[in-house]
Amino acid sequence: MTRHLVRLIWNRKRQNLLLTIEIFCSFLVVFVVALVGLTYAVNARQPLGFDIDRVWVIDVGRPRGPIGETDKAATAAREAAEREVFTGLLAALRELPQVERAAGSFTGPYVNSTWGSGATLTDGRQIDYLYNRVGDDFIPLLSMPIVAGRGFTREDDAAGDDPVVINAAMARTVFGDASPIGKVIPQKPDPQRPPDRPAEKPKRVVGVIEDFRQHGVYSMPGNVLFDRLRIDVPDHGVPDRLLIRVTPGTSAAFEPILIRRLQRESADWSFDVSTMDKLREQSVKTYTIPLAVLAVLAGFLLLMVMLGLSGVVWQSVTQRLREFGLRRAAGASGLSVRRQVQVEMAVMTTFALIAGIALVAQIPFLPRPRELVLVPGIFVGAVALSAAAIYCLTLACGWYPSRLASRIPPADALRYE
Amino acid sequence: MLRHYLTMTIAVLKRRPFYTAISLFGISFTLLVLMVFTAMADHGLAPMAPESRQDRMLGVHSARMYGPQSSWSSEGGYALFDKYARNLPGVETLTIFSGFQTATTYLGDQRITSNLKRTDGAFWQVFDFTFLEGGPYGEADVKDARFVAVITRRTRERLFGGANAMGKSFEADGQSFRVVGVVENVSEMRYIPASDIYAPLTTAKTDAYKRDIMGGYHAVALARSTDDLPLIREEFNARVARMELPDKAYKALVAPFETRWDSIARESPFADRTSPERQGPKLTLFLVIAALVFVTLPTVNLVNVTVSRILERASEIGVRKAFGAPTRSLVAQFVVENVMLTLAGGAIGLVLSALVLRALNQSGLFAFSAFTVNARVFGYGVLLAIAFGLFSGVYPAWRMARLHPVEALKGGPSR
Repeated sequence: MTRHLVRLIWNRKRQNLLLTIEIFCSFLVVFVVALVGLTYAVNARQPLGFDIDRVWVIDVGRPRGPIGETDKAATAAREAAEREVFTGLLAALRELPQVERAAGSFTGPYVNSTWGSGATLTDGRQIDYLYNRVGDDFIPLLSMPIVAGRGFTREDDAAGDDPVVINAAMARTVFGDASPIGKVIPQKPDPQRPPDRPAEKPKRVVGVIEDFRQHGVYSMPGNVLFDRLRIDVPDHGVPDRLLIRVTPGTSAAFEPILIRRLQRESADWSFDVSTMDKLREQSVKTYTIPLAVLAVLAGFLLLMVMLGLSGVVWQSVTQRLREFGLRRAAGASGLSVRRQVQVEMAVMTTFALIAGIALVAQIPFLPRPRELVLVPGIFVGAVALSAAAIYCLTLACGWYPSRLASRIPPADALRYE
Repeated sequence: MLRHYLTMTIAVLKRRPFYTAISLFGISFTLLVLMVFTAMADHGLAPMAPESRQDRMLGVHSARMYGPQSSWSSEGGYALFDKYARNLPGVETLTIFSGFQTATTYLGDQRITSNLKRTDGAFWQVFDFTFLEGGPYGEADVKDARFVAVITRRTRERLFGGANAMGKSFEADGQSFRVVGVVENVSEMRYIPASDIYAPLTTAKTDAYKRDIMGGYHAVALARSTDDLPLIREEFNARVARMELPDKAYKALVAPFETRWDSIARESPFADRTSPERQGPKLTLFLVIAALVFVTLPTVNLVNVTVSRILERASEIGVRKAFGAPTRSLVAQFVVENVMLTLAGGAIGLVLSALVLRALNQSGLFAFSAFTVNARVFGYGVLLAIAFGLFSGVYPAWRMARLHPVEALKGGPSR
């Protein structure tokens, strides 16, 4: 029976090849949407690692020093002055009754700029991580859940090593199941370090946070490493941001008061406040808008394919009246004729899917940008989901024409001849 | 002859309205998507105020420094342009202005965030803004660091409730400016001259910017004629190549004068950013390929629907062949029919795209965008429809024309 069906399909190979190509292209379209959608869905279930309730962020603009300043003493003096101003700003913020906590940081949640870094471990593995240098108040300010150890505190002042906080994913990557607390990240020295710069101190883990997914719920989870910001230490630079948590009930009316207070502290710096809610809204949009555009386009394409396929199958059923009539006259049941049409559809879909899956299976082996992470589970899931969707689509397209085919009265069909 | 084809087309389309509707749906949707993108590109790239003279403009919108280990990319710095871009051969006017800076204004407890651009006086000669009130500030205002500003219509609405703003003052980021002119809003798609507030360069809070070769500034040169563009590009690249970089960690600086398309292409993932060569053609090629990939599915769909209807025409084809019509003329007829179908779909697509564009304008997704189906976009739409018609018409036409006359007269081959 199957061989017979395959022969029937082969006899109409030109028309069927075109249909198969159409199903193949539809598979690719569905696959792209499924991959992006599934990635978002899986990511959204992972812990975010912070809470932005009542948190505001102040972008701090400093007058820049001259590029490539050769006078080392002048640079040091300018930086020392800037650090002093920044300390003053933090102190001023903490005095305001509306401010519960304040912390300096280089980046922050939903902030557009990303600071990435990496290291080669002593066992030769290369790891990349999201980097940030944060004040002691940063972790409690964002109510970040701590899985093991502790956040940065004053005790770290005396530490000989650099205290760091890493996220659970990085702890797993570097230390496996062993507890990372108190251990040093086994890191090879940076071969590209300029000779005039002092060697990096070992990074000793003092705490493990659940996570810190800077770009929100849809972003890809990854490794995170926080360094402790010490505003009084020359090498640490001056942060670009101030984060504050305001007391409950503080309204936007506090913004100008806040800005004027900061301007009074330092007139030639500039400050820009936004609430975290607003930043989150913008950040989420950069994920949802492309997916929405993609989904709308794919939706219309599929609607077009459905109409087209149904039309083509319908047309071919009406053209094959004689064939179906003959089968009915020879004793085939209506159901069997109906099944024939559907099986033909399914065989073509299978061929299209084999070709489509063979093509997308090449993607993991192709060179791709580093930001594009493929999670094996999600990739396979997207293939399965889109294959299932395409089967449903083609069978739905065959449903009405196959019913028509099964209803052909044998006598009419034969008379037609 | 063409009139005959037209009559035939309409007859065929009317014969099976359901299939015609399926075909038209696919065609109009495909062309709708292509036309929306075309209209957006047209609005962003075609010469229009304040960039009416854009075919004579070249700008430096990014600068990258390279060393063996490190690279640094940002906008160019004021010193780079002030020292090296002045007196370039073929340049009529050179303007240097800042990139986006945000400025906050508080009216009572209401907070207004605006984009502030600090420019020189030549900015107003290179870009042709439409002034609603007053006029631009001049080179003298810049030289004396006068706190004057030109604002846009929207800024006037937000700061002064839309009333006459001339001579009034407002505060932005702790500095107080006096309004000397009001200009029409500039679409966000015109991101080089777009801003909410324009103020003289010298009103910056410190003059540290005057020493920087990297960061925060743009330069746009207005050439005497389009023939001078290559000369400007080459001369500036040569000067940059000769300059001594202030930081020994870097070996080369890449900051070419480019058209806007080239500078957009420079930010695309497949650009070679380490080279001052033009990157535009690569992006164009990529977009053409992307468009072709997008139309593949609609094309296959349309071909399928058309091919499945061949037998409707069997007797017509049989008769014409029996009376000696050559295959060539049959192919021509069917291709013309297909093009007419796509043109009809294109007309629907054009109407729909006008609606989509209006919705996009109202959504505020792109600030002050005014996407329209103008004559140019209409022309592109017609071309796209014809191309799509040819693309999807050739194969079915070839199949139809090859039907054997005897079989065709009998009602088609028993496929």
